[in-house]
Amino acid sequence: MKSREAWQELEKIREGRDVVGHVEEVLARVEKWEGEVKAYISLEIPELLRQRGEELERRLRKGEKVGKLAGLLVSVKDNICTTALPTTAGSRMLDGYVSPYNATVVERLLAEDAIVIGKTNLDEFAMGSTTELSAFWPTRNPWDLTRVPGGSSGGSASSLAYGGADLSLGSDTGGSARLPAAYTATVGLKPTYGLVSRYGLIPYGNSLEQISPMARSVRDVALLLEVIGGWDARDATSLRVGSPVFSLEPAEARGQKICLVKEMVEGAEEPVEKLFWNVVEKLSSEGAELEEVRIPVLSKALPTYYTIAFAEAASNLARYAGIFYPSKGSSGIWEEYVGEARAKGFGREVKRRILMGVYALSEGFRDEFYVAATRVRRAIRDEVLKLTRRCIIAAQASPILPPRIGERLDDPLKLYYMDMYTVVANLAGVPALVQPIGFSHGLPVGIQWIAGPLEEQKLISLGLLVESLTGLAGVMVD
Amino acid sequence: MTEAGSKLFCNCKANYRGMEPNTNVCPVCIGLPGALPVVNRKSVELALAASLAFSCSTPEYIVFTRKHYFYPDLPKNYQISMYERAGGVPICRGGRVRYLDIHAWEWKECRLRRINIEEDPGKTVYGEGGILRSAEAYVDYNRSGVPLLEIITEPDLGSAREARQLVEYVLLVLEYLGVTNPRLEGAFRVDANVSVEGGERVEVKNIGSTLDVERAINYEIMRQSAILSSGGKVERETRHWDAERGSTRPLRQKEQEEDYLYFPDPDLPPIFLREMVDRARSLAALNDPSALFAQVVELGVSKEMAWSLVTTRPALELFLQSVKRGADPQLSARLIAVDYKGELREKNRDPYDPSSWPATEYVTELVRLVKEGVYTYDAVKGIVLPKLAENPMVDLKSVLPQRAENLDSIIDEVLKREERAVKDYLSGKAQAMNYLVGAVIKATGKKALDPRAIREAIEKRLGRGS
Ligand SMILES: [Zn+2]
Repeated sequence: MKSREAWQELEKIREGRDVVGHVEEVLARVEKWEGEVKAYISLEIPELLRQRGEELERRLRKGEKVGKLAGLLVSVKDNICTTALPTTAGSRMLDGYVSPYNATVVERLLAEDAIVIGKTNLDEFAMGSTTELSAFWPTRNPWDLTRVPGGSSGGSASSLAYGGADLSLGSDTGGSARLPAAYTATVGLKPTYGLVSRYGLIPYGNSLEQISPMARSVRDVALLLEVIGGWDARDATSLRVGSPVFSLEPAEARGQKICLVKEMVEGAEEPVEKLFWNVVEKLSSEGAELEEVRIPVLSKALPTYYTIAFAEAASNLARYAGIFYPSKGSSGIWEEYVGEARAKGFGREVKRRILMGVYALSEGFRDEFYVAATRVRRAIRDEVLKLTRRCIIAAQASPILPPRIGERLDDPLKLYYMDMYTVVANLAGVPALVQPIGFSHGLPVGIQWIAGPLEEQKLISLGLLVESLTGLAGVMVD
Repeated sequence: MTEAGSKLFCNCKANYRGMEPNTNVCPVCIGLPGALPVVNRKSVELALAASLAFSCSTPEYIVFTRKHYFYPDLPKNYQISMYERAGGVPICRGGRVRYLDIHAWEWKECRLRRINIEEDPGKTVYGEGGILRSAEAYVDYNRSGVPLLEIITEPDLGSAREARQLVEYVLLVLEYLGVTNPRLEGAFRVDANVSVEGGERVEVKNIGSTLDVERAINYEIMRQSAILSSGGKVERETRHWDAERGSTRPLRQKEQEEDYLYFPDPDLPPIFLREMVDRARSLAALNDPSALFAQVVELGVSKEMAWSLVTTRPALELFLQSVKRGADPQLSARLIAVDYKGELREKNRDPYDPSSWPATEYVTELVRLVKEGVYTYDAVKGIVLPKLAENPMVDLKSVLPQRAENLDSIIDEVLKREERAVKDYLSGKAQAMNYLVGAVIKATGKKALDPRAIREAIEKRLGRGS
C-alpha cells in the first residue's frame, strides 16, 4: 500500500520540484496499471501532458502566478464535456463525439492550471453501480482485479486508486461517486444540489445529480471542491453562492453529534457492519454523542429514487435520434431510422431504464408513479433536513463488499439494491461524503456522512478527524 | 415573441429572419448533451404583461414542462413548454379577451383557457416536390428555441369572422405590449378547432394570416356541413390548411390523445413572478388598445377613424401628440388616419414604420392653417400630404401652396387686366371664373396653388364670396 495526496504534490511543485517529473511519475503509474484496470476511455497524448508541465515550469521559474491546481493531473468522468478529448458517456451512441464546448467545471480546472490527463470509464450514461455497463469495457478494481470498482464513476475511482491521477471529477446521481469511493478506498463528496454547476454534465437524473470531487484524501476533495464549486449563470439550478473556502482543521470528537439512522445502518453484510461500528464506537469513545433514530419513510427511498431517475433519463435520452450524434440508422423512413440509431446506440440497461421511465410518465400511470415519487421525495427531504439540523448522519456506503465482475449483472434488482444507502442524499439534495475506514479480506470498506444543505465544511472537518483515527489518507495500491 | 430579444433559453436572437441557415444556434438551442436552458426573463415579463392584459389569474410562480414528441426539427425531441398538470404551472389560467367587432362596433368577449410560454422548434425545408415527393429534408435550427406564446381560447366563437376579429385584436394587444411584430414572416400561427353541430371537433393547423383564419374556418364549416347534410359523419381529426389551394387536407386521425409524457423540466426551477408583476401591470395598463380607442372616441373622433388610428400605432402616437399640443382632434384624425395613411398606402410606404410619419409640429401647423382658413383642407390633402408622404422630413414651408398674401396683388392685377372676363362673370357666366383662376395661376408662374383657394379669394375680391 502506498500513500500520496494531491496537496502534497502541489506543495512540492510550488517548492520548485519539476512539473514534468510529476507528470512522468503519474504516467508511470498509468503504464503499470492501466492495461489491466482500464480506467480510462481516452488518455491525453503523453507528449502534450509533458508540454503542459514544461509550460508551467517556465511560468513558475519566472515567478508568475499560477493557479490553485498548478501541475496536478485530473481525470474527468467521460460524461463531462471537454473539447480536447471526446466525450462518450460510456455509450456507443456517442462513440467519437467531441463536444464543441467545455463543461463549466472543466473551464474552472483549466483556469487553475490543472492538467486533464484523460476521460474515465463509466456505466453507460452513468446508469449502473459497477462500471460493467460501459459500452466499451468493464473497469477493474485495482485492489482486486477480479472485482468491480463500483459505479458509475468507477473509472475515476480506479484511476485514483492506482495513482493514475491526482484528483478526479465524478458525478453522483444516486451514489455514483460515493459507492466507487467506498470500493476503492478513495474519497467522494456529493455536494449540496446546486453547489457545483451541471453545465456540461451529460444528464442522467437532472434533479438528483451533482458533479462530485473525488480524490485519495478529504483534504484533496476539499481542494477540488473549492475550485469547481460556486454559482454558474449557465445552470439555472445552481445556487447563488460564491466559491467555497474550507478550513482544514479536523473536528473535535467531543461535542460532535452523530445520528445513526437505522434504515441507513442496518442491512449491510457482516464485514462491512463490523468496520462501520469500529469507527462509530471510536468516535463515541473520544467524546462524540451518538443518537439512534428511525426514518420509516426511507424504506421507500430506493423505488422513489429509481422512478424519478428513470423518468428524467427517458426524457434526457430522447435527443439521441441519429441526427447530431454518431449512432445512425440507414432506413429512409424517419421513424425506422430513429429506431435503428437508438437500437444500435443504446445498451440493454439504458433501454430498460428508458422503458421504465416512459412508463412512469405516461398518461394514466404518471400520478401513480412519477407524481407519487415526487411526493415521497418531499417527505424524505423534510425528514432528512429536520435531522441534519441537529446532527451529522452516519450511514453505510454500501451494503456489500465490492462484488466480483459479472456477479450482479443478471439481476437488475440486485444491482439497484447496491444504492440503498446513497440515494437518500440525492433525494434530499444534501451533501454526503464517503471515505475509507478499513479493509476486509483486502477489500476496501467506506463510511458515509451526511450533513445539511451547504454544510460541506462539517463533512470535511469530520472526515479529517476520521482520517486521523484510521490513518487512511492518500492510500493507493503499490 | 419576436420582440423578446433573445431566444427563450439562450442568447441567440429571437428574430432569426434573413440569417443564413443554422447560424443562429448554440449548444443550448440545439440541445447538445450537457447544455442547460436558462430562462430569458424578458420573455417571461412580456408573457406576464400579456396575461395581465387578458385578465388572467396569474400564479405565484411558473413551472416549465417538457413535452415529448419525436420530430427532426425538435433537437431534444422534447419541447420546453407549459402544462397545468403533473406539477407544471402555466403563466395564465382562465382570463378573457374583450375584442372589438368592427362591423357592429361592439365589444365581444372570448374566454381564455390558458397561456403557455414555450420554445419554437426549428424549421424543416423540403427539396423539390415538397413534403410528399422530395427525397431530401433540410432542417434549419435558427428558429429553434425562439419564445412563443401559446394562447388557448374556450369554444366561445360562433363564426369565422369572429375568430378573425379575435385574432386580430389579440395580435394588436401583443403588438402594443411590445411582445411581437405581427407583420414579420412567421410571427404567429393559428390552429382553429372547428365543429359543426352533429359532428366531432376538427383541428385545422398551419394558418398563417388573419385573413386565412376566416377563409380556413369558412372552408371547414362548409366542408363539414356538406358531409353532415349528405348523411356522413365528421370524425375527430387534425387537418392542414393549404393557403394556396384554399382548402384543408387530412394530417392525421386522432383516435386517441397523443401521450406527451409531460413532467416539469428539472433543469428549470420555478420562477417567482412577484418582482415582475408591478412592471408588467403598468406595461399592460399603458398599452391597452381598448382604452386608447375609447380615449380617441372621447375626443369626438368617429369610431372608424379612431380604429384606424389605434391599429396603426405610429399614427395613434402622432395623433395623441398633436392633440396634446392643441390641434383640433377631428381634423387631426382625418388628416392622419384617413388621408395621410391613404397616401402612404398609395406610395407603398410602411405605415407601421414611425419614420414614414411627419413630425408632430407639421400636423399641428397644417391643422392650424386649415382651421384658420389660410388653406382649405383639400389644398393640404391634395398638395401637401402627397409630398410629405414622399419625404416626411421635407421642409414644410417648401411644400405649402403659395401664401394668400402674395396672391392679393396678383389677383388685383389680373382682375384689372381681364376686365371682360370679370364683367362676364358678374353677369352670370360661371365659366368665366375658371378662366380667371387659370389666369391667376399663370401669373404666379405656375407654382403649386390651390385653385379652390384662388377661386374663393377672387370671389371675395368681387364681393361674391362668403
Ligand atoms: Zn442558442
